[in-house]
Amino acid sequence: MKVTFPHMGQAYLAIKGLLDDLGIEVVVPPPITQKTLEIGTKLSPEMACLPLKINIGNYIESIEKGADTIIITGSCGPCRFGYYGVVQKEILNDLGYDVDMIIFDPPNSDYKAFIDRIRRLAGKNSWASIAQAFNRASTIVKEADEMLDIALKKRAREASRGDTDSKLYRFEREVMGKHGTREILETIRKYKVILSQVEENPEIWPLKIGLVGEIYTLIEPYVNLNIERKLGYMGVEVCRSLTLNEWVKVHLSLDIKHRVRHKRILKKAAPYLNLCVGGHAWQTIANSVYYSECGLDGIIQIMPFGCMPEIVAESILPKVSQDYGTPIMTLVVDEMTGEAGYFTRLEAFVDLLEQKRRRRADEYQESIFRG
Amino acid sequence: MKIGIPRALLYYNYYPLWHSFFGDLGYQVVISPATSRAILDSGVMSCVDDACLPIKVFHGHVASLIGKVDAIFIPRLVSIYPKEFICPKFIGLPEMIKSSIKGLPHLLVLNCNAHRNLDAAYKAYVELGKMLGVKRSQAVRALQKALINQQLYESLLKKGQTPIDTLNEDKSIGESKGVIGLIGHPYLLYDEFISMGLISKLRARGYVVMVPENVAQSHIEAVCKELPKKLFWSYGKKLLGSGLAMLKGRKVDGIIFLSSFGCGIDAFIIELLQRYNHRLYQIPSALITVDEHSGQAGFNTRLEAFIDMIEWRNSREGHISPHGTSVLGH
Repeated sequence: MKVTFPHMGQAYLAIKGLLDDLGIEVVVPPPITQKTLEIGTKLSPEMACLPLKINIGNYIESIEKGADTIIITGSCGPCRFGYYGVVQKEILNDLGYDVDMIIFDPPNSDYKAFIDRIRRLAGKNSWASIAQAFNRASTIVKEADEMLDIALKKRAREASRGDTDSKLYRFEREVMGKHGTREILETIRKYKVILSQVEENPEIWPLKIGLVGEIYTLIEPYVNLNIERKLGYMGVEVCRSLTLNEWVKVHLSLDIKHRVRHKRILKKAAPYLNLCVGGHAWQTIANSVYYSECGLDGIIQIMPFGCMPEIVAESILPKVSQDYGTPIMTLVVDEMTGEAGYFTRLEAFVDLLEQKRRRRADEYQESIFRG
Repeated sequence: MKIGIPRALLYYNYYPLWHSFFGDLGYQVVISPATSRAILDSGVMSCVDDACLPIKVFHGHVASLIGKVDAIFIPRLVSIYPKEFICPKFIGLPEMIKSSIKGLPHLLVLNCNAHRNLDAAYKAYVELGKMLGVKRSQAVRALQKALINQQLYESLLKKGQTPIDTLNEDKSIGESKGVIGLIGHPYLLYDEFISMGLISKLRARGYVVMVPENVAQSHIEAVCKELPKKLFWSYGKKLLGSGLAMLKGRKVDGIIFLSSFGCGIDAFIIELLQRYNHRLYQIPSALITVDEHSGQAGFNTRLEAFIDMIEWRNSREGHISPHGTSVLGH
C-alpha cells in the first residue's frame, strides 16, 4: 500500500510524519503547480469549486509516482466538501485508475465504520502507537503554524527583502528528506530558531491586515497566489484567522480552553449571522468583527469561485465594514485568476489603507496642536 | 396587514402551505409578480455578483414587494429532514437580503430547522405566529389546515402534474411522442422566465414531461440508498434520486438537466447523474445552464437539436454517414 493525500498548506508535514511513524509507505504529492491545476481543471466538473480540481490534480500526479491509496477527510454538509470523496472517486474510476480511497468522515453515529477505516489504514499497529503517532502529528501542525507565524511577522519587517523566504525555501527542501515525526519536528524547531534570528529593520511600522475566508484558499499558498508573501513584501503584517492548527484544535482535540475561545469569537457575529451556514462563513463574519474590534487596518476575504457558504458571508461583510469602518475587500480565485490583476487590486488596497492611516495620524497631530 | 411572499426559490414547493397559513390567520397575502426582465435586473443590481441566478431573482422579487406590503415573508429553511441540509445560501438568505436591500419593511423570517428532529419544523410556524401576535392554538390550527392543502398539492404532483399546471389550472396533455425527463430545481423549472418556457416548449413538440416532483419519495429513497455515501442535501437528493429512478426504470426517452450557473449542488449532482448515465443506462441527455445573460435563441436551438437527436436515434441510428455525405442523404 502506497498512500497519498491532497495538499493543503503545511498539512503534508504532519500527514507524512504520521504515516511514516505507522510504517506506511507514503507518496507526498508534488507541490501544486500550473500543471496540477491544468490536470484538475480538465478532469473535474466545470462548476465544481477550485479545491476539488486541485485535489484531482494532486491525486493524478501522485498516482503517476506510484500511489495506490488515497486518504481524505470528509464532512456531513452543507458545504460541498462533504461529497468530495464520492465525486472524486467516480472521476478517477471513469479514468480507469484503480485506486483505493479511504474517506474519514466524522464519526457521528457509525463508530464502527470509522474504526474499521483506521484499522484498514494502520494495519498491525497497536492502538497505543496510533494514538501516540497522532499526538506527535498534531504537535507538528502546531509547531509548523508557529513557524509560519514567525515568518509572517519577520517578512513585513525584514532588513533585506527575501531573507525570510530563502530560509523557508531551505526548510522545505530539507524537510522532504526527513522521515517520521521526530525528525520532521526537529527540523521545524531548528528553523523556528533560524527564522526568529532574521534581521529586522526597526524603522518599519507595518500595516496589519487580517485574512478571512474559505479555509483551503487561506491555507494553500499556490491557490491564493501566495498572498501572505506578496503582502509581506509590501510591508504588511498578515493575521491569519484560520490555520491548520486552529482546525485541528476545534475539530480533533479536546482542548476545552480553545473551544471556549472559539465560541466567544463566534458570538461576535451575532448581529449579522447567528448560525452555521456551512463551511467557515460564520467564522469569516465573526473574525472580521473581531479583527475590526482589535483595530486592524484592513481585512481581506478570500474564497474560491462559487463557494456557497462564503457567498453568504460576502454579502454580509459590507455591513460589518460599514459599522466598524474597517475596509474589507473580497478576492475570488479560480483557475482563470491572473496574477497581474490580482496584485494590482492588492496594491490598491494597501495604498488605500496606508493613506487612511496617514490621515488618521495627521488628524491626531492636529488635534494635539489645537488642544 | 398585507404579507408579501416572493415568487421565487421554494415558493413553488410550498406555496399552498404558506398561502393557506397566512390566509387562515386573516392576513392578506400578496405574491410578487411573475419573474420578468425588470425583476431580474433589480435582483442582479442588489445582490453580490457571485451568487447564483435563483438567489439574484429572489432579491429582485423582494425588491418588487417593497412599498406594496407591510411585511415580507422570508423562509430560512436550514433543513427539512433530519440529518439533511439545504443549500448554504438558503440558510443565510435572510441575512443576505437584510444587508443587500435597503428600505425593507418588516421581515417575517421562518426559522425552519429539522436537522435534529422533524417536530422542530412545526415549531417554526408557531414561532412565526408568535411574531405576528397570534395565539399558539390559532397558529397550530392554521398550520394543520395548511398542511392538508400542501398534501393535496403534493398528491396532484405525484399524478404527473407540474406545479405550473396547478398554478395555471391547465391540465391538457395531448397525444404524446414520448417522455422527456426534466431534472432541475423547482425554482428553475417552474419559473417560466428562467426556464424560458421549457416545459411548454417540450409539450408543443408532443412530449410528455416528467419532473422530479412526479417521482414518489419512496423511489427516491430506495435509489439513494445505493449511493456510497448518504447525500446530505434534501433537494440534491431529490434531483439525483428522481433522475436515477427515471434512468433506471427507462421511463424516459431523453433527459434534460437544467441548472443555473454557479449552482454548487448541481455541479455535483448532475456530474454524478451524467457519469452514471454514461456508464449504465446511456439515455440521451443534455445539460442546459442558464444565467442572467441567457438568450432565447441559443436555448431554443439546443432544445430542438436535442429532440431531433432523440427522434433520429429511433429512425436512423444505424446509418453512419460516409465521409462527405450527410445523414439525410443529400
